[in-house]
Parts: sequence; structure tokens; C-alpha cells
Amino acid sequence: MPTITYIQPDGTAEAMTVEDGTTLMRAAVTSGVDGIVGECGGQAMCATCHVYVRPEFAGRLPQIGDDEDEMLDCTTAERTDRSRLGCQISVDAGLDGIVVDVPADQV
Amino acid sequence: MTALPASGIPALAANTRVPATLPSPAPDSAFQGAETVREAPVADWVTLADLREDPFPIYRRLRAEAPVHWVPAVNRYMVVSYDACHTVEQDADTFSANEEGSLMKRAMGHSMLRKDDPEHRADRDSYGSTLRPGTIKNHWMEIFERNHRRYLDQLKAKGPGADFVWDYAAPYAAENLRLICGFHNATQEDLQRWSQTMIDGTGNYADDPEVWAKAAASSAEVDAAIDEMLVYLKDRPDPSLLSGLASMPIPLEAIRANLKMTIGGGLNEPRDVLATTAWALLSCPEQLEAVRSEPKLWAAAFEESVRWVAPIGMYPRQTTRETVLGGVRLPAGAKLGVVLGSANRDPKVWEDPESFNVLRAKKPHLAFGGGQHFCAGAWVGRASVAQVALPGAFAELRNLRLEPAGSAIAAGWVFRGMTSMPVAWD
Ligand code: HEM
Ligand code: FES
Repeated sequence: MPTITYIQPDGTAEAMTVEDGTTLMRAAVTSGVDGIVGECGGQAMCATCHVYVRPEFAGRLPQIGDDEDEMLDCTTAERTDRSRLGCQISVDAGLDGIVVDVPADQV
Repeated sequence: MTALPASGIPALAANTRVPATLPSPAPDSAFQGAETVREAPVADWVTLADLREDPFPIYRRLRAEAPVHWVPAVNRYMVVSYDACHTVEQDADTFSANEEGSLMKRAMGHSMLRKDDPEHRADRDSYGSTLRPGTIKNHWMEIFERNHRRYLDQLKAKGPGADFVWDYAAPYAAENLRLICGFHNATQEDLQRWSQTMIDGTGNYADDPEVWAKAAASSAEVDAAIDEMLVYLKDRPDPSLLSGLASMPIPLEAIRANLKMTIGGGLNEPRDVLATTAWALLSCPEQLEAVRSEPKLWAAAFEESVRWVAPIGMYPRQTTRETVLGGVRLPAGAKLGVVLGSANRDPKVWEDPESFNVLRAKKPHLAFGGGQHFCAGAWVGRASVAQVALPGAFAELRNLRLEPAGSAIAAGWVFRGMTSMPVAWD
């Protein structure tokens, strides 16, 4: 089972082990990670699951789809080249150990 | 007016009238622990007339007593705390949208709004990218601007004393929705009539035959209009919903039901947010000044407005099994009213929740619902109201004001908005 680490803007880290295939959004919402809301339940429709993925994992991420791309233009915190929607990234062995930064603002 | 120390900008206090007969709320510490399960308290003091006039004092008392109540007047359990509403939204297995005996199904057919995944998913996907931000930016924004121009000119032509809701917000929202749906064979007036008569059907608990007759007549008109447009749009595609649906393998019955639900759910809400936000800002000049001097705040004003007065105040769900919600036992098959209008004023989440304050700390409100049924039109609502209509109307109507003062009326609880809002300008 893969591990995910969420880093809050103040530097606090929260690590958790999840079932294969769990999304970054679902894992965070289920364990109450602050700053990840996931209002639309993962339909790439609300932009409240925005995360910054650490660059060392960039090469292992799925491509950004059209729906995700336009929604990333609607995030509250600034979009950067590390920005992704947590609901569009399922974590499996290939992304084991992934580290993401939680933006300061989500709504 | 209550001054908020943090901002120095007075917030608009809500109508805080509490009927004199209501005893003061009991402390809510008894149900804090998840271990203590109790039966739903019976709120037999709640009446439909009071809810319609001003539901917020009622919500305040309900929230203080328990997160979930049985309310005989509504014939449902009312879910009133933020936490409990949020739990319902995120757990579709326990809280089904496919309600038995739903009047909405009778008035509009079985739309996506009353289906659960995976059936819901197929219907929702059939809406494609029409309502998504990319299409809004590339296509609808220009149309919203044009419609804004047209109906603001009509309001101006009518002169001071015109009604902000009926002479501007309603036709603007209806014309936008007409084009988004793709009804090139109907008028915005048709859309308003269809929407209201079918909505009246979904709320026809009194089983009034005249209400059913009007809803059925509108439903038949919509069916005919859809049939015609599906053929027309096949050869002349545009970014509308019906155009996308014309080339999709989806049953006609689903198309009809989904379009009727969208007519019912995509017109009154932007109309109501537009008028409620304008009313709130006009009632609180310091906040209006703040928004005028920082145009980014139009978006904040929109979000605060839908938090403060959720245009869809309540929607139904039904339990699929016995469960405990907010410490209250619910039997299987229990019919619930998820009261967003109350969740959005939960003092456990917001400081001074009864006040309208565009500068308050931002937190996720529930006005667009959540989970599978998260509003498909949220970005259309934001773009058409917060980006086009509000800044446009306030820029062009110099010294816009409520006149005669005190004559604007807000009403409703399942749907809430301004029912009358006479204005004047220079
Ligand atoms: C601007 C204010 C609006 C508000 C506050 C609002 C609110 C809501 C809410 C609370 C729901 C969920 C209801 C439930 O779960 O039972 C919903 C669903 C929906 N809304 Fe909106 N709405 C707005 C505008 C619009 C517009 C402009 C459209 C269409 C152009 C629209 C189309 C829809 C559709 C199609 C659904 C059903 C989604 C589904 O079942 O998956 N809404 N809306
Ligand atoms: S959960 Fe809504 S966009 Fe990811």
C-alpha cells in the first residue's frame, strides 16, 4: 500500500498509507487533512482539491486532461507548474512516497 | 447594523426577529458525543408560513437544539447543521437522491438530480463541456455581456421605480439559460413560465389539480421544443446542451427530464443571487464601497451572498438503511430535507453567521451542494452574475438605490430570493 505525505503551508507534515488507487483528494478528505475540500466529490468541477506536487514526482504523474486543465485555471491559490487537482491523481505503487504541498487558500 | 471589529466595515445584520412564543434554545452539548444516540426531536412548532416568510430564526433554534429534527409540517426530517448536511452530501450510498414518490419525478420526469451513480453519472456526462469554464470563457461570456446590455437597457428605459428582479435579473437569467440549453425556438418569457410552473409542480404537496395541469402543459411544450431542436441542431451545431445531446446515444426520456430539471434549477438561482447580492450591498453602503474600490471582491460578494441566503435552501434525500446522523437515529427509508440555508449559517463554522459580510474569512459553504450532485451550473452562475451582471449594473446605474426604501421583499425557504425590489438611480 502506497504512502502519501501532505505538507501544510506552515510546514506540518501528515503522512498516510492508503489503498492502491485512492486519489490524493479522497485520501485527504477521508482523514481530514486541512485545506483540501473536494466539494464536487472528484468530478473535476469545483477546484477545491488543488495541490502542488513536489517536482521529483512530476515524471510519474498522469497527463493533465482538458477538464483538469480548465479547472486548474479556476483555483483560488495561484496555479503553478506543480499544480494538480488531487481528485485526478490516483496513487498506486508507482507514486508510492509522493509528497504534495497544500495551498494556503482553497476557496 | 453590527460592526465587525476585524474589518471595520459594518456587516448587514439579518432579520433577527424571533417569534415571542419560542422558548430560548437548549444547550447542544448533550449530542456532541457520537456515542449518545437519540430519537429525532419533534419540531411541531415549525409552520410552513413562518418558514416562507423568514426561515432563519427557525433554523437558529433548530440548530441549537439538535442537528436533525422530525418536522411534521414538512413531513420530513430536517437536517440543519453544517456537519450533518456535509455528511449526507458525501455519503450517497446511505443517503440516496432517488427519492420514492418524488413530486419532482412526477412534474419533470426522472432526471439526473434524482438518480444515484452509476445511472446519474451517464446523465451528467451527457452534458459534456457546455457548462464548464472553458466553454464559458470562449463562448458564453460574450453572450452574457450581450444579454446584460439588452436587459439593463430595458430596465433603464422603464426608468426609476422599475423592479430589479422582474425587469432585469429574471429576463437576464432566463435569456442566458435559453441559449445555454439551445432553445432557439422559444423566448425567455417561455423559459420563465416553464420554470415556474414546473417548480410549482415539484412543490405541489397539496395536490392542487390546477398546479398539476399547468406543470403538465409546460412539460408538453418543453417536449415539443426539444424534439424540434434536436433535429435542427444536428445540422447547425453550437455549444448548447441540446446540440451536444443531439448526437449522443442517450434515451429521449432522460434528455427531456434533464432539460426540465435544468430549466427549473438554472433560472431562479442566478436571478435570486443577483438580486439578493444587490439588495445586501445596497443595504450596506460601506460594503458596497469596499467592493467598488476592489473589483476582485465581486466574487467574494457572490460567494458570501449564496452562503448568507442559499438560493436552494433545501433539497431532499432518502436513507437506504437505518443510520445515525448527528447523533440522531434515522430509520431506513426516512425522507430528509437537507437544509443548506441552515448549514450555511452554522455558528460552529462561521463567526457572526447571520450577518452579510463580504470581508469575512472564506470557508467552503454548501450553497452549490456537494458530492455527485454538486451543481453543474456553478461556474455559469459565477460568471454570469459575479463577472458580468453585478459589476455591470453597479457601474452603469449611477447612485443605484432601493426606492421606495423598505419596500423590497425576500421570501421563500426551499427557494429563497427577492420577490420585489423597486430601485431608482440618477
Ligand atoms: C447560481 C446559483 C446556483 C445555485 C446556488 C445552484 C445550486 C444547486 C444545488 C444546491 C444543486 C444540488 C441539488 C441536489 O443535490 O439535490 C444543484 C444542482 C444542479 N444545478 Fe445548480 N445552482 C445554481 C445555478 C445553476 C445554473 C445556472 C445551472 C444551469 C445552467 C444549474 C444546473 C444544475 C444542474 C444540472 C444540477 C444537477 C447536477 C446533478 O444532479 O449532478 N445550476 N444546483
Ligand atoms: S474534488 Fe472537485 S475538482 Fe477535485
